[in-house]
Amino acid sequence: MYDNRVSGYLYIAPFLIGLATFTLFPFLASFLLSFSDYQLQDPVEQARFLGLGNYTQMAGDDTFHGSLGVTFLYVFITVPLKLAFALFIAFVLNFKLRGIGFFRTAYYVPSILGGSVAIAVLWRYVFAGDGLINQVLVWAGGEPLNWLGEPAYALFTVVLLRLWQFGSAMVVFLAGLQNIPTDLYEAATIDGAGKAHIFFTITLPLLTPVIFFNFIMQIVQAFQEFNGPYIITGGGPLKSTYLLPLMIYEEAFKYFNVGYAAALSWALFLIIALFTIIAFASAKYWVFYGNEREDGE
Amino acid sequence: MASKADIAEGATTDKSRGGGVAKGRVLLRGVTKCFGAVDVIKGVDLEIAPGELTVFVGPSGCGKSTLLRLVSGLELPTGGSIIIGDRDVTLVHPSERGIAMVFQSYALYPHMSVAENMGFGLKIAGLPKPLIKEKVAKAAEILQLTPLLDRKPRALSGGQRQRVAIGRCIVREPEVFLFDEPLSNLDAALRGQMRVEIARLHAKLGATMIYVTHDQVEAMTLATRIVVLNAGRIEQIGAPIELYRHPANLFVAGFIGSPAMNFMDGIVEAVETDGVSVRLNGATLRLPRHDAAVKPGAKVTVGIRPEHFRVGPTPTDMDHDQAVEFDAIIDLVERLGGETLAHLRMPSLSDGVLVVKISGDVPLRIGTGLRVGVRLAQCHLFDADGRAVGEPAARAVVAA
Amino acid sequence: MSLISAPRRDVAWIGRFSALLRYAVLIGVGLLMLYPLFWMVAASFKPNHEIFGSAGLWPQEPTMDGVVKGWRTGTEYSFATYLLNSFAFIMPKVLLTVVSSVLVAYGFARFRMPGKQLWFALMVATILLPKSVLLIPQYLMFREFGWLDTYLPLYVPCAFATDGFFVFMVVQFLRGIPPDMEEAAVIDGCNSLQVLWHVVVPVIMPAIISVALFQFMWSLNDFLYPLIYLSSVGKYPVALALKMAIDVTEATAWNQVLAMSTIALLPSLIVFFLAQKYFVEGITSGSVKG
Ligand SMILES: Nc1ncnc2c1ncn2[C@@H]1O[C@H](COP(=O)(O)OP(=O)(O)OP(=O)(O)O)[C@@H](O)[C@H]1O
Ligand SMILES: [Mg+2]
Repeated sequence: MYDNRVSGYLYIAPFLIGLATFTLFPFLASFLLSFSDYQLQDPVEQARFLGLGNYTQMAGDDTFHGSLGVTFLYVFITVPLKLAFALFIAFVLNFKLRGIGFFRTAYYVPSILGGSVAIAVLWRYVFAGDGLINQVLVWAGGEPLNWLGEPAYALFTVVLLRLWQFGSAMVVFLAGLQNIPTDLYEAATIDGAGKAHIFFTITLPLLTPVIFFNFIMQIVQAFQEFNGPYIITGGGPLKSTYLLPLMIYEEAFKYFNVGYAAALSWALFLIIALFTIIAFASAKYWVFYGNEREDGE
Repeated sequence: MASKADIAEGATTDKSRGGGVAKGRVLLRGVTKCFGAVDVIKGVDLEIAPGELTVFVGPSGCGKSTLLRLVSGLELPTGGSIIIGDRDVTLVHPSERGIAMVFQSYALYPHMSVAENMGFGLKIAGLPKPLIKEKVAKAAEILQLTPLLDRKPRALSGGQRQRVAIGRCIVREPEVFLFDEPLSNLDAALRGQMRVEIARLHAKLGATMIYVTHDQVEAMTLATRIVVLNAGRIEQIGAPIELYRHPANLFVAGFIGSPAMNFMDGIVEAVETDGVSVRLNGATLRLPRHDAAVKPGAKVTVGIRPEHFRVGPTPTDMDHDQAVEFDAIIDLVERLGGETLAHLRMPSLSDGVLVVKISGDVPLRIGTGLRVGVRLAQCHLFDADGRAVGEPAARAVVAA
Repeated sequence: MSLISAPRRDVAWIGRFSALLRYAVLIGVGLLMLYPLFWMVAASFKPNHEIFGSAGLWPQEPTMDGVVKGWRTGTEYSFATYLLNSFAFIMPKVLLTVVSSVLVAYGFARFRMPGKQLWFALMVATILLPKSVLLIPQYLMFREFGWLDTYLPLYVPCAFATDGFFVFMVVQFLRGIPPDMEEAAVIDGCNSLQVLWHVVVPVIMPAIISVALFQFMWSLNDFLYPLIYLSSVGKYPVALALKMAIDVTEATAWNQVLAMSTIALLPSLIVFFLAQKYFVEGITSGSVKG
């Protein structure tokens, strides 16, 4: 630990420059833009101040309301399901089984690839009219479904793509589970606790920091999903998969309404911020930091 | 940039550096250190003569490591100055102070072989490769590391790692070796063995060494002088046996010696030219010492080391001296083999339980009575402030 | 507490949850998850009518037609161009990310300085900040710089540790390493940069590799940024080329598109299988060790 503050600042200087240039400045700029009628093709000087114009427009914009609804639906379905499934599989994997490594890898692969365009393209074909899923349905004696054409089914396919990527959360859970010292389990067993008892009084509490970490990361990521819906459904049909990030992108780069897009992006930011703040504020009631220590810095 | 040349020179022209007498001397003047609002070192003055092996002892958190790190330059003092040899090094970079340090965790570089670990400092100093190799080989020989030179630290045992850490120091040919609890990660047998090796090394190299430890045995056996630290101040400095015989205050008396000295509260009854009478719980002891500072009626503490009690009939040699005997009831017995620790109730001395160390041969039964004797000359006396009475005054120069 | 003592049946049920059942769950879930991937690879070697005809894996009439035509793409460039384009900005991106993250993390983890807590908190906050709020002004800024239709907007920010996640990962790793080794190096005569290079970098190599691998994967998957910054087809990375391919060839040539997707996923898969332990270490270091 060095006392030299000058070199300390030299080391973090890249970050400070980057923070100012590529984060704080754009952050404030988008705030200002959200009060303007700026159009993408115009020189920046032509932007006019609109006051709350963009925000009042948002209040009356059915597309925005629809998009907001879909976004919440998407987040509220995917995050709990993905976390629960990841936790469940991690728990199953955490027994002393042969081949844990193999399964861990198999389940992890989709989250490595899942964000890519290639997988989104694959998804399109898997759920296409004569795609894989419908072939299986027909083979099993069922009716083929119009996965990408029916609003409810379309959202389902997009949701499924996110659930498919539960592996990264699972790996984190698994590491968390393996971090719990076995002597705690042994002590509890000697004390006569049953398996369920042990799960609720030892495993779950000690896992809460990891659950918290995964929860925050999943919320933040789910609110920002773009690739999947953009490529699989393009936001359709009937805007049933038109997540907020898609709307922001199209407003800015398709319709050139930069001012309005900036306002939308601030709305998204405020929503995410709200959720993060609530999560952090609630953490002290349910996240258990057992061996918390003072940081000696 | 002058530094590189410095080290290179220091390494090659061994004796000529530092200018004669003062080489290896360490001088701390009014050194203080605060971490934020916490005063960790509260003014330390200390002179360490060339070639001495000085041991810092003290309770955990008293600032031993911090003081050592101040000498090393890994921490910079808040106030005061540090002189090594003839140079004021208060603000000098650690590598240019002529010191080398052995860490408790060994701090070996895991990705380098033993040889590379030992030669790393010389490489950074820009020494030519053949010279580095020669110096590493020489140090390796001293420490019997030669067959291990190509191994990585993770392939070494604890004791071997410890020797590599020492080897890394030797290669630098420092004026002062610094050790921070170097043996505390080793098991008891290895610790004893390494302790002997360090003592040998000290004799062989004749370099100044500063050694931080928790271990009484290490401190007593290795030290030329012991510095007892408490809460960021020096309590006493002296040769091990001197600290044992003449602790300057209650703290040192209680800290040096194992098991710890027994303390009994008393009140001064009379002060005469050749002795002080102290009223204890049930008896009055006339201790053969005198200090004008104690007055009748003053509260004092009497200290007796467990090993200074005798059991059984008073041996003849005690006749020459004034000795007293007390009745005791055996409360608890800890047999260590050759010796036994007996926890005794002696109502005439104290309400509490006193520990007595006696030969392991004596048969003892809990609850039975026992007569124990003690030579009055071996009793220690401390005034209400904890200062030793009638002993040589504390030699530590403790800044206020 | 009431949850605990009551359900004795529950306990028994978990007790009977045998290894066999666990394997059945694991294998079932694994097959369901990986089947689409296998199907994609298989379809690359099938004629189109066979893809529509059966959900089976093994090609009845194996053909390289899809792969060859897919590689040629419907555009004037072959798939090789798009792959090279991807690497053209991913390599500098990875390099700059590693260098800047390590420098900044070292500064945060090993230096006492006023205001550090604040900067560190801001860095963590940037991890949670949605990218879309920065997207538009960044676009305008790079347009002012004249960087549109170049790779610069894609990698220059990485030189400034803009991915807080990576800095955080390295900081967490560094916090787990006692500073003694570095202090020994200081005594051995190193300045802080030499300590970083000779001691810290070798010791935190696993973290560095994790950072590089994650940035590689994520950049390969990245779609939105190339989409807004690149306009000439000749500069398109794989992600854009694929999107273009489905827009053009969609209806008919499934085997071509699926072959292209397979090829597009190959670099990620290869890297992942070569170095999967670093992925696991990397993703868990931020959450568990902390
Ligand atoms: N970098 C630091 N920042 C703040 N406080 C510190 C720092 N280093 C040490 N301290 C504090 O200074 C005091 C002395 O610490 P030091 O490590 O010198 O003790 P020590 O005598 O070596 O103890 P031990 O025997 O346990 O090693 C302790 O209270 C410690 O908490
Ligand atoms: Mg210490």
